[in-house]
Amino acid sequence: MFVIVFFLVGLFLIIAQTTVFMINPVWDGAPDLYFVLVAYLAYRHDILRSLIILFSLSMLFDVLSGLVLGMYPALFILGFFFLKLMSDRLPVRESYYQVPMIGVGFLLVHWLVYVCMSFAVPSLLVPWSWPKMFIRAGLVIFFAFPLFRFFEYINRRLQGNFTGFSKGRLRSGNRYRE
Amino acid sequence: MRKKGSRKPTGKFRALRLILLIGFLLTMALIFLVSTLGNQKFGPLHELLLEAAGPVQNLFARGSNAIRSLKQNYVDLLSVKQDNKRLSEELQECRNLSYKNREALATNTRLRKLLDFKETADLPMVAARIIGKDPSVWFKNVIIDRGARDGVARGMAVVNGDGVVGQVFAVSPNYAKVLLMVAPSSAMDVLLQKSRVRGILKGTGGLTCRLDYIQKTVKIKEGDQVVTAGYGGIFPTGLPIGVVSRVVRNRRGMFLEIEVKPAVDFTTLEDLLVIEQELVIPEKNVDGQADRP
Repeated sequence: MFVIVFFLVGLFLIIAQTTVFMINPVWDGAPDLYFVLVAYLAYRHDILRSLIILFSLSMLFDVLSGLVLGMYPALFILGFFFLKLMSDRLPVRESYYQVPMIGVGFLLVHWLVYVCMSFAVPSLLVPWSWPKMFIRAGLVIFFAFPLFRFFEYINRRLQGNFTGFSKGRLRSGNRYRE
Repeated sequence: MRKKGSRKPTGKFRALRLILLIGFLLTMALIFLVSTLGNQKFGPLHELLLEAAGPVQNLFARGSNAIRSLKQNYVDLLSVKQDNKRLSEELQECRNLSYKNREALATNTRLRKLLDFKETADLPMVAARIIGKDPSVWFKNVIIDRGARDGVARGMAVVNGDGVVGQVFAVSPNYAKVLLMVAPSSAMDVLLQKSRVRGILKGTGGLTCRLDYIQKTVKIKEGDQVVTAGYGGIFPTGLPIGVVSRVVRNRRGMFLEIEVKPAVDFTTLEDLLVIEQELVIPEKNVDGQADRP
């Protein structure tokens, strides 16, 4: 159930990103909402179920966006493992610290994939632009907190806990690693 | 203190009162008869009566008006909320209608342009709408609501009323992906309309394109029209591409550096036409380039 619901949520985010948030075909300010889902799954859920969701979504995204098949699976999986690693290694499990890490992860993963692709298919890519990518990373961070709360709400509903938004963040008494 | 009995009117006084009363009534009757049956003149007595009754009437009229006005205001106040709600709804309806009218007008203009283009081009075309846009910053393509079932095939040219938009590069039964002309991977044969010199137009990823392989000896200036060359059979000859917006003559090199502003406004792209021409495109050559437009 978790996999199906979060796949549908991801699908909704991707559709929104390719339609509502794309004001025109050359618009560069659409938020990469899919990356927030990648981050959420990396921070809060196990690898197997997360990878099933992310693989299916990335394949779909590959069809809807881009020219190079396999680019989005690379972005999704690299992003997932980077954030998973960081969340495991970070001394603090507090979402206020985890949210900026999503922006850092977004920039790093996109830069890595761009570098690889610029060797493989240099003529297909728009030149790398740091200002544009910083704006995109900023948008990801901006949307991260409300979307995390939304995902957490859905997760609680799936678990049969109807307490809703009041316990949006997973917190224990100890802010440091338990 | 007087005795009660002393206050009783005497018989004499009573008779006097009776006489006075009868006299008064007779006088009134006389006045009535004279005024009714006489010359109907509005005399001083009438004027006096009118003057006497006027202020009282005025007072009552004002009071009555004030009460009526108060009542009316109260009733109005009761109905003002309903009126407000009704008027708000009417205003909203009018605004929606106005918005729809404006939208219909814009759509009409856009479609008329497309229709004009379709009629003048005299080529088999299928109309399509953009349903999705590539959100990545590295590529520029769109998804349209026409596919193989509508006769759309890979490599077909996509235009709108202003000129060339791009080329179909992937097709499914009902949908297709179109690579925009401004994408870096897009390249097409073009002509400078005036000098008929041929060059290759490449996308930059922004809102302009780059025209390559135009020699320095060619006379070219800003504002010159660029059109499709028609080589390769993908685009018909003479379709508008854009205008030269900047020409740079570098000291080194054989070629000019030319920037072209597309005729199509990519920020307002909505309705498109796919030119349904029979194309023969090899599936894949050695380096895989033929897979891409």
